[in-house]
Amino acid sequence: MSRREAPPAEQDAAGPAQATSLTPTLRGGLRRARTWIAIAAVAILGAAALILLQGAPGGGGPALGADNPGPAGAKAVVEVLRAQGVDVREVSAFDDAEDAARAGATVVVADSAGFLDPDRLAELSHAAERLVVVEPGFASLSALVDGVRLAGAASGAIEGADCRLPAAERAGTLSDGQRLLRVDDEAQAEGWQGCFPDGEFGVAVAEGPSEGGRVAIVAAATAFANDTVDEAGNAALALGLLGQTAELAWYVPGIEDVDASTAPTLGELTPGWVTPTILLAIVLVVVAAVWRGRRFGPLVAEDLVVDVPVAETREGRARLYERSAVRTHALDQLRIGALGRLTGVLKLPRSADAREIALAAALATGRDPYATERLLVGEEPADDRRLVELAAGIHELEAEVRRTLRPDADLTQTTERPGRPS
Amino acid sequence: MTISGRFVLLLALGVVPVVAAGVLASAASGAPFPADAAAAGAQAAWLALLAWAALSIGLGAIDLSLAASPRRIALQRELPARVRLGEPADSQLIVQNLGPRLLRAVVRDGWQPSAGVTGANRTRLRIPAGERRRVALVLVPRRRGDRRVEQVTVRSAGPLGLWSRQATLAAPGVLRVLPPFASRVHLPSRLTRLRELDGRTPLLIRGQGTEFDSIREYVRGDDVRSIDWRATARRTDPDAPGGTRLMVRTWRPERDRRIVIVTDTSRTAAARIADEPRLDTAFEASLLLSALASHAGDRIDWLAWDRRVRGRVHGANGAELLARLVDAMATIDPELIEADWSAVPAHVRRLTSRRALVVILTGVDSPANAAGLLAMLPQLTARHLVIVASVADPEAVAASTRTNDLDEVYHAAAAERGLLDGARVEAAIRRLGAETVSAPPHELPPALADRYLALKAAGRL
Repeated sequence: MSRREAPPAEQDAAGPAQATSLTPTLRGGLRRARTWIAIAAVAILGAAALILLQGAPGGGGPALGADNPGPAGAKAVVEVLRAQGVDVREVSAFDDAEDAARAGATVVVADSAGFLDPDRLAELSHAAERLVVVEPGFASLSALVDGVRLAGAASGAIEGADCRLPAAERAGTLSDGQRLLRVDDEAQAEGWQGCFPDGEFGVAVAEGPSEGGRVAIVAAATAFANDTVDEAGNAALALGLLGQTAELAWYVPGIEDVDASTAPTLGELTPGWVTPTILLAIVLVVVAAVWRGRRFGPLVAEDLVVDVPVAETREGRARLYERSAVRTHALDQLRIGALGRLTGVLKLPRSADAREIALAAALATGRDPYATERLLVGEEPADDRRLVELAAGIHELEAEVRRTLRPDADLTQTTERPGRPS
Repeated sequence: MTISGRFVLLLALGVVPVVAAGVLASAASGAPFPADAAAAGAQAAWLALLAWAALSIGLGAIDLSLAASPRRIALQRELPARVRLGEPADSQLIVQNLGPRLLRAVVRDGWQPSAGVTGANRTRLRIPAGERRRVALVLVPRRRGDRRVEQVTVRSAGPLGLWSRQATLAAPGVLRVLPPFASRVHLPSRLTRLRELDGRTPLLIRGQGTEFDSIREYVRGDDVRSIDWRATARRTDPDAPGGTRLMVRTWRPERDRRIVIVTDTSRTAAARIADEPRLDTAFEASLLLSALASHAGDRIDWLAWDRRVRGRVHGANGAELLARLVDAMATIDPELIEADWSAVPAHVRRLTSRRALVVILTGVDSPANAAGLLAMLPQLTARHLVIVASVADPEAVAASTRTNDLDEVYHAAAAERGLLDGARVEAAIRRLGAETVSAPPHELPPALADRYLALKAAGRL
């Protein structure tokens, strides 16, 4: 009662109701998602705790690094050598390595990344009495010695040292994963020998004289790396090669060994702002994706009506006929239809049978009655071509009967010119 | 929260300070080697990038904090209750800003896709605190039935237009879309025919029909066979004493007959023929027949049936009849179930106890599908006059005459098979004493109306 009598102004004063929001507020959203947030927090904390307890997975450091405990590191060999009383020094600068070499230490160069300039490696070989080069690159190898070349990978584990190098003889076998070197006649004449031959393909270790002393080249890091050092005779070879002197300089060249005097690389020539700009572009792409991808409110559901194209039944039945190649059955459908229509056109009684209709059609058009009967009743199509011919023939016959009996009707029908006087 | 293109642009402009810082720093460093100069430039460029990102995000955050709340809004709808399919409707949404700040918003009205919003459905609004604005949309619905809207999404931007707040608000509304009744173009010509039947035409054509209407004086042109000699003898001529005036009887078609239209809404009605579902054709035919028959003074009952009563209009007349019909039809969609024909006679009996014209709008495709209909028909034909109207597929007739290659021959055979099946069912229906009307979708409503007029003229109702 009071509502009805209330003037509009009063209603306005009460104020229109605020619309109900379907989007949860930030607080509401957090409250609704709190289970998931809790689960995520527990998972993150658990992962952090695991990492703190067990250390970071993988381990840091370069390949064959002396203190790298990862699969590619060489901490195992180094620790065993230390336990045996060898004074292992980790060296990261070329000058230190050269000093150690002059002091009589064995120098191991593990430069799988190819940081060390080949000429400096040759310099080192002049200075060192005992030099062990692990996994040299092509340029390093050719600078070190003429006549020893890289020769691919070994087919499997190698049995038998087959040389006079004591360390190799003690090792006897090497595990799978070796690389090969080829020592040619010239080098052999200079005193180079190859150990662990893999058939005719090459050798896994080459040893020979240098200007300063002797050099051993181990083509693969397999014998030294942590995860393979315990296989076959790997450990024996590694310890034999490295443990001959009381001091060992473990030299893993790093980025600072790259020769500054060489030509600047593309990376050095690039202006400093390029990388930040690329990052900005990536951020822009992401932000633009968020801009364009943010939906303007939830999707609106639409219930769709059931809708069946009626031609589907026809299509399906036609395919069924076609797949099972029921030519006679298919043709019979056309014949029954045509006979039914011809009965009407020829004004025959409904009870007239197919032969009578065929005869009447032949008489009406002046065709051969026998051929007409074969067309409408008798003939079974032998192949697809005949089927098409018969179908077209039936169609043509029907049209001809109509034309003969009702020329005017047919004329207006075919030409489709309405209002034509007959 | 959402970000705008402006913010992306602002971020993109960061390339200027980044490059400038890089170039200037490397030039100012004066390092002898290009690598050193590049390193100096890189450091400056990274700093510039960080600074620019911080600036952009800071501006965005400030902008967001200054945006008006998209939740403190009152919404009110103004909608027409119903609209015919294919005609435009105005949807008005009044948005009132209840908050203390200026609302700079883009509004999206969450209509269903088939409601047919014309235009982009993104309206920009600037509403000062406490004021209201009107969002007008033109809807051209694409489907029959209740087109609904549940929500309005408001995106409220800050003064800089960088970041926005977004909320979806409930604002329900319904627009009932009625069947188009496109066949009403056939109505005037059929009404003319009806008036001719009725004897009320200005032409001097004697009214046909079987019900006695009146006796009037003979005028030239009247059929001499309808002269009523007994009346003529009773009527003396006032001008010529002793003489008589010729009197004729006039007839008119029967009135106040009952017509029951049963529309099948089962799976046969879902078939789409020539881009129109059978059900829509059935509705068109029902509407045209109802409009015509209500003008003729007959009483219409309408029933939509599959396994239950989907819609029913009983005891309405004139304009109210059509209004109630389209309203009932609007929300009915076909369902993928088999029609239960056995219950139809009982429903017809409930609608009328008198003899009636029962029009059944369904599809007669194959004997298997029509078994239920054929089993039920004798119960109806025993009491009523029954017409079974079905939509024929013009494409089937066309396909049955194309025989150019093997594929077409098989298609023609399949089409012919379908036509023969339909013909068999129709023959069976006729043998059971019912009439059949079969025509392509756009011709079925006038064909049914013509059959009704023919029955009326013959006095068979």
